[in-house]
Amino acid sequence: MKEKILAILHENYPEIDFESSDELVDDGTLDSLTVVGIISALSSEFNVELPYEEIVPENFNSVDAMAALFERYM
Amino acid sequence: MPIMTYNSLFFVLFFAAFLLIYLLMPKSFLKQGVILVGNVFFYKFAGGLNCMALLVAASLLLYFCSIRIERIYEGFEKEAEGLSKKEQVPLLAAYKSRTRKWLLLGILLLIGTLVYVKVGRLLHFEETSRLLDIRFTRIMVPLGLSYYTFSAVGYLADVYWRKVKVEHNYFTLLTCMTFFPIIVQGPISHYDRLAKQFHQLPGFSYERVCHGMQRMWWGFLKKSIIADRITPVTSTIFADIYHYAGLEVVLAVIGNVIAIYMDFSGCMDIVIGAAEAMGITLDENFRQPFFAKSAAEFWRRWHITLGAWFKDYVYMPIAMNPGFMKRTAAIRKKRGARAAQVFSAAVPLMIVWILTGLWHGTGKDYLFWGIYWGVLIIIETAFAKELKAVPAKLHIRTESFGYRLFQMIRTCIYFAIGRMITACGAGRSLFLIIGQIFAAGRLHILRDGGIFSYGIDKKNMLVLIVFFLIVWIVDIMSAHFDVRDRIDRLPFPLRWVIYYGVVLSVIIFGIYGNAYHAGAFAYGGF
Repeated sequence: MKEKILAILHENYPEIDFESSDELVDDGTLDSLTVVGIISALSSEFNVELPYEEIVPENFNSVDAMAALFERYM
Repeated sequence: MPIMTYNSLFFVLFFAAFLLIYLLMPKSFLKQGVILVGNVFFYKFAGGLNCMALLVAASLLLYFCSIRIERIYEGFEKEAEGLSKKEQVPLLAAYKSRTRKWLLLGILLLIGTLVYVKVGRLLHFEETSRLLDIRFTRIMVPLGLSYYTFSAVGYLADVYWRKVKVEHNYFTLLTCMTFFPIIVQGPISHYDRLAKQFHQLPGFSYERVCHGMQRMWWGFLKKSIIADRITPVTSTIFADIYHYAGLEVVLAVIGNVIAIYMDFSGCMDIVIGAAEAMGITLDENFRQPFFAKSAAEFWRRWHITLGAWFKDYVYMPIAMNPGFMKRTAAIRKKRGARAAQVFSAAVPLMIVWILTGLWHGTGKDYLFWGIYWGVLIIIETAFAKELKAVPAKLHIRTESFGYRLFQMIRTCIYFAIGRMITACGAGRSLFLIIGQIFAAGRLHILRDGGIFSYGIDKKNMLVLIVFFLIVWIVDIMSAHFDVRDRIDRLPFPLRWVIYYGVVLSVIIFGIYGNAYHAGAFAYGGF
């Protein structure tokens, strides 16, 4: 799962090093525009509709957190 | 003009008396009671008690709707026990649709009042301060309407998304909504965070009171010495723009940019400092905005709470809407990832910026203003890769001081153009101002001393330049360390020289030296 997510992230945002931090949102690596793009790409790939309350920084601070989030809804 | 404004002597006296009583209260609930009484007293002299009735009605509506939503979700919590997250999705959707009527009721009445008042002002409806005089075309404009409406809608939306704990004590919610430091011009606050602090108000702390006071006086300095010196002059020029040209207009635009920053950030220093003295932390609204390297970054540093509100309650809900996401996914399949990224950013961003423009004012100018910022930020977002590649192609080192300075000047120009769009309020303000800039040079005002004939004489200009530089240097220092902490560590005599220096400067150059008139705050009319 994690590898698949990483591949999608690299394809969409090659300029971002997603493994550099586990505070991607909190340290400003990902802004809200990028988070929206990531959700859109991952939701369409895994055919998942995330509840709005799950869109919080903690769920997007690392690739592991993203993988855990999408796994919960698959 | 109301007699209670944050920069009035009345407010200073009120706050001193209020703080003394507040600090003497031994328990948190007593302190909260003092705050509520303080809110009523402040509102009576700042906006009128009749207007406060509308605010109380809004707080009752907010309380009622939030409790109703919470009750419905209690049913979900019981039913969802033992189900996986995936299994919970359809159940939650069903409960959400049941809560939606309370969310919509609250939002429609809150936003409806705001829109009605804004449209009423646009149509020149009569304004009244008496509750019983309200008619279809005679409106009442409660103080801080835009600010408490946004905070209340944010709170209700967070309750609907189950992101916050519902406040069960009505008086705490009322204290949040009427909290006097934030009621006039923000910062737009999260009521749940404020309520949490009201439940545990801390006891007296010399350091906190001292820091709060320092921040308040710093705000008085920015407002009374700098903003109030410039604003009357630039207002006169923009009100009669045809009489001015060239350098006169360029200086008026620069003055307008400096004045609005000193005015608004000065007010934020006063109110955040006042809350700090009480042991309450408010969200910051400014973080050295003119040091921003792009338009998008500027709006993460200027009026931060407004930008955050639009991001949380307009941008994200649109971008995350299932229908919108399906459309984005279809674009991704058909036209690729880049097109989908541009689409998913551009549409919600343009909506956000049009609404931000209309929040600032209802005229055509503000619509253009919103579109201007929307287009700038969308270009920065959509062409981020291309824009990033330009310096490399031109062999410019992006980490050099020169390039960073260029980015900061560019940010100031972006902002200045934005100000020019609304400065004259004539529907075509930007073109009028640009036309006048190129109509004549008027460079002679520098040689013949004409520059001192617009309302700021030689002495006042010197005062202005000195204090502008002081604020600028402190802003640069604040970007790197906590200036107040450094002051704390200075030797006692030097520390008190600084304190007295600021207070005496406000009294001598702000009140006495500026033919004192306690000018209204620019963001107080929303």
